Amino acid sequence: MNSLRSYLAVLRGSFMVGMIYRFGFLFTILGNVVYMSVVYFLWRSIYGTAETLRGLTFNETFVYVALGSAVFILLKTYADWFISYEIREGIIAIYLTKPVDFQLYALAMSLGSALITLAAITLPTVVMLYVVFRVPIQAGPGLALFPLSLGLAFLISFNFDFFIGVMAFYSESIWGTSITKEIIISVCSGALIPLQFFPQAIQNVLLALPFQAIYYTPLMMVTRPDQGWEVYLPMLGVQLLWAIVTFVVSRLFYNQAVKVVRVAGG
Amino acid sequence: MHTLGDYLRLYVIIEAQYIKARMQYRADFLISSVGMFFSSLATLGIFWVIFSTIPSLAGWTFTEMIFIYAFYMVAISPMQILFDHTWQLRFHVQQGTFLKYYFRPLNMMFYYMSEMFDLKGLTQLAAGIILLVYASIQLGVVWTLPRLVLLALTLFSAALVQISIVLMAGCAAFWVVDSYPVLGLAWKLREFAPYPMNIFDGAFRLAFTFILPIGFVAFYPSQLFLHPQDVSPLVYFSPVIGLGLFALAYRVWTLGVNSYTGTGS
Repeated sequence: MNSLRSYLAVLRGSFMVGMIYRFGFLFTILGNVVYMSVVYFLWRSIYGTAETLRGLTFNETFVYVALGSAVFILLKTYADWFISYEIREGIIAIYLTKPVDFQLYALAMSLGSALITLAAITLPTVVMLYVVFRVPIQAGPGLALFPLSLGLAFLISFNFDFFIGVMAFYSESIWGTSITKEIIISVCSGALIPLQFFPQAIQNVLLALPFQAIYYTPLMMVTRPDQGWEVYLPMLGVQLLWAIVTFVVSRLFYNQAVKVVRVAGG
Repeated sequence: MHTLGDYLRLYVIIEAQYIKARMQYRADFLISSVGMFFSSLATLGIFWVIFSTIPSLAGWTFTEMIFIYAFYMVAISPMQILFDHTWQLRFHVQQGTFLKYYFRPLNMMFYYMSEMFDLKGLTQLAAGIILLVYASIQLGVVWTLPRLVLLALTLFSAALVQISIVLMAGCAAFWVVDSYPVLGLAWKLREFAPYPMNIFDGAFRLAFTFILPIGFVAFYPSQLFLHPQDVSPLVYFSPVIGLGLFALAYRVWTLGVNSYTGTGS
């Protein structure tokens, strides 16, 4: 119990640091609304006179894409950046002497700043989405499972970032790797465009990869409220599986990589 | 007073040292270049997915979109390669390290921007040129001498527009310190530069033409080569727009530099 308290302290500290940038929040919310408007016109134009494309109506696609842009900033943990910074600057040595688990410490850090992003940017953006565009978000099993699914998505996203961050033990800079990871995730996860729009063969491949669990799964839950538990619960199960797999893999990688730093003397 | 020649010579000397320093980290350079290449192709991938569903977007075909996107990639490269230090401005302002740029008998913007020469931007430039050639062949665009001159002029202007927008966003740091949200928004909206401006309705098209003129980064100039009959006369003024906008951005920079007092750290 005592140990959980220490991670909560880290979380709280990270939350407080986030509070410094209040000006940024207002501007980011405004920016999101402008961005969603641009996306609105783009998809309006793609749909043209078509009623549905790939089984999705314009409204459904817009909810998907707009909500996607609202949670995008939430699921960006930046863990890769601060971990690689701490490794490069040698700050990591301080954590190695403390009785904390580094992976959980990094998770608490990310969670702290994610909570402030959620309260200050994502929720207001969703409210604006509702007010400005009057999008119909319907209640249903999908909406009920959405928070849980978003939580798992955050964990998977964090695991990827943690993995990339730990690579800094081996490489001087992770800019290239991190950018490549971001590109792969934003294209393959359905963050920019619903996976339905991909050709069938590619869609099958993407659905078998872990990336879709980050954006496609939670966003579909809100987009298609007409589907029931029997569709969403298996999706959630797959997400949980990926969350565990990525967590374990990145943890094993960290345990391996941290030996290098000892050899090198920090 | 330094002449333009002095500055050019100086720039070559500074960047030669910079590149030598960067080359210590060869692996990083290689991975960064690959990352840049992928990030350039991602938008193309999205286009491809969209056009696998619909035949044309607001009257533009997939190949024409490749042309516009290639133009865009070339046009944003000077910003990426020469003005990449803009992104660090907020850190220098916050930590007070910006003060050092006041102490040399050089143009401050020159001095500041010369501290970074983004090698990986060269990948983007190369990819853009290859795509531009490919799309031109596919579309049967004939490059006569007057057209090549027009291409050079419009690219120059488009590059200036891109530089000016990001520079002004970065200069927000002088007043609000953390300019990341402003930069981030400019960066995000810029992603829409390679889309046909006619998909936007009145207010947004007006804004993207006159207020935040991302239309001039790729779409309007590309129109000159692909759909010359639809071009509005305004597009012929694009060199003036590029130069005018850069003058404005330079003015904002000067104002910022003169009003900066440090953050006390």
